[in-house]
Amino acid sequence: MYRFYLAIRYLVTRPINLLGMLGITLSVWALVVVVSLFSGFMVVIEEHVRETSADVAVTNLPLWADANKLGRALTDDPNVAATAPRLVHFGLLHEAGKRPPPPPLPGRSALHGGDQPFLFVYGVDPAQERQVSAFDAWLTSEEIPAAMRVADPSRPFATANDRAQVLVGLERMKREGLARGDELVLTTGIRRGGEGRGEFQQVAIELEIAGAFKTRHGGFDGNILFMGIGELGRRLAASDEPGPAEPSPTPGTGNEPAQGQQRVQEIAIRLHDPTAVDDTARRLQEAVFRTLQRRHYGYGLVETWRARNADFLGSIEHQRWLLKIVLFVILVIAAFLMLATLSMMVTEKTGDIGILTSMGGTPGGVTMTFLACGLTVTALGVALGIATGTVTSIYLEEIRQFLIWATGVDLFPLDVYNLDRVPCNIDGWWLLQVTGMAFGTGLLASALPAWRAARHDPLISLRGN
Amino acid sequence: MTSPVLTARCVHKSYRLGKTEIPVLRGVDLEVQSGEIVALLGASGAGKSTLLHVLGLLDPPSEGEILYDGRSVHGLSIRERARLRHDHTGFVFQFYHLIPELTALQNVLLAGMMTDSVLRYWSRRQEAKKAATALLERVGLGDRLKHRPAELSGGERQRVAIARALLAEPRVILADEPTGNLDSNTAEGVIELMFELQRERDAAFVLVTHDEGLAVRANRIIRLRDGVVVG
Ligand SMILES: Nc1ncnc2c1ncn2[C@@H]1O[C@H](COP(=O)(O)OP(=O)(O)OP(=O)(O)O)[C@@H](O)[C@H]1O
Ligand SMILES: [Mg+2]
Repeated sequence: MYRFYLAIRYLVTRPINLLGMLGITLSVWALVVVVSLFSGFMVVIEEHVRETSADVAVTNLPLWADANKLGRALTDDPNVAATAPRLVHFGLLHEAGKRPPPPPLPGRSALHGGDQPFLFVYGVDPAQERQVSAFDAWLTSEEIPAAMRVADPSRPFATANDRAQVLVGLERMKREGLARGDELVLTTGIRRGGEGRGEFQQVAIELEIAGAFKTRHGGFDGNILFMGIGELGRRLAASDEPGPAEPSPTPGTGNEPAQGQQRVQEIAIRLHDPTAVDDTARRLQEAVFRTLQRRHYGYGLVETWRARNADFLGSIEHQRWLLKIVLFVILVIAAFLMLATLSMMVTEKTGDIGILTSMGGTPGGVTMTFLACGLTVTALGVALGIATGTVTSIYLEEIRQFLIWATGVDLFPLDVYNLDRVPCNIDGWWLLQVTGMAFGTGLLASALPAWRAARHDPLISLRGN
Repeated sequence: MTSPVLTARCVHKSYRLGKTEIPVLRGVDLEVQSGEIVALLGASGAGKSTLLHVLGLLDPPSEGEILYDGRSVHGLSIRERARLRHDHTGFVFQFYHLIPELTALQNVLLAGMMTDSVLRYWSRRQEAKKAATALLERVGLGDRLKHRPAELSGGERQRVAIARALLAEPRVILADEPTGNLDSNTAEGVIELMFELQRERDAAFVLVTHDEGLAVRANRIIRLRDGVVVG
């Protein structure tokens, strides 16, 4: 009993120990708030990324693949709800007769793929695409001003002239001052010629802007150009073909590309049950390999949306790790603060150790007394930190509003991320981990002074001063 | 006849300073009977405090043994020895050694908490408080319960220390120059009180002192010289 009793009395008569407690509170608070905020962002970003990627995609299909046969094989799977073919190419977007704008300096928007002239061109079939993604919603987003809207969202690539109709991301349209009906050129290239000695040939595709699209994933909007899949296939084929630069299938398997068949590079798939995405992807991979009858050169790889964006999502996860490490260092510093105040206290209280021993105390008891001091400080600090941290996280949006109202400063510019409130994801497991880490460091920081106290010879103080 | 409450048999104690051994006690034999007052006299550095610490199990003897109620304490664990120290002996020191963060009452109460678990103490906290208050009233500090040591005079502090030493109702009180820090009037009062309490409780009393006048009031005088008992 005396251990806790003394520990408490020692603490309440020494307000300096509040310092150690506040240090722990502050670091725990930061660990909770910052990580919750960042996790919230991650959830949102993941959502946005997911929205622009189909649940599963068969990628890197060879020219000779029979898209119709593949499509049938895929829809045979019970979990496949819909499929859509895509043709993926690339190019530089610029006005006719002018050079493309120079690439931007490295920076935030460059990292997000915002400002660069280089683009991916997605050839899609609107009727099928809207079965696997929110394609319709992207064209009809309320944020798109009238002058940039697609005239007929059900047939976005319909054209009255011979220019290929394209959809451009809204932000890029605004930034480059584009509007519906503007004419541009996409400069790209295609590998031509056969049997492994391919030669790169420049191709210029004349475009007309059919309208803007708007997803919530800025990186996607900035990097993608939509075009009708048939149109893109034709434009590329005109300068290409018949092109078995790619390995031919085993002769006699009946796998040669059918004459006049649409070129397909990717098949996007929507699932009935997206939670079973990994199992389904495994089954689909088998089905694709069976249909292609060959496994080689990485053709026909089935990738889940998460795997496709693994680099991007992984880099964010990595940032969260760094953040956690930095914040943990703050916790360690707070523990040092506590160690300093506790050490001071032990030095001051060695005089009491003699009398405690004479009354029936043991070195173990003395250790516990000072350990209890440290653990009490830690426990209070952690409790306060978790509580304030959780409350702060929950009311982050209100706090932001208040700060805007009081100081005019917006700490989280939400529109950058297409959000309507500050995201926050409080993870119980993380709170538990923080508590554990704080107690671990707290214990280490109190163990040292406590151990020193126990080693103190009680007779020294009893012999008088 | 019952065994003496406290026995020292051929106790040796030496301290090691670097490579040299400094012998302090060189074979002390001593028996203290229940209810007896023993005065321990000797020049400064004779080893009086050392002997008291050895008798109170604060310091193990280098050789020889200590017996409580005729039973050897040799071979007891740290915990068992601490327990015995708590139950069997009460210490009073020259410099009081009160805990400055605690009030007079809390200082006395602390002695009652030493061997109790939190739960056990909690269940008997009222009794404990009553006993501590009664003891403080007995030593004349009924109106000083809530005072911190810094707010008490030397004599009052020593009275608190005496109350603390008596709370666990020890069989032996070991006092190391309890009046060494007090003026003669106050000292007289404190000594009077200690003798009274000792008689009331029939405890044995080992009193280390430099004061011959005080020593003669004891039942027995033991003189230490160069680590051995003389006369
Ligand atoms: N830890 C120690 N290490 C070395 N020598 C010690 C130690 N403790 C005590 N001594 C020595 O033991 C001897 C006896 O000391 P002790 O305190 O028992 O004397 P004392 O009789 O109580 O003297 P005083 O009347 O001044 O209190 C002294 O010479 C002292 O220097
Ligand atoms: Mg002494």
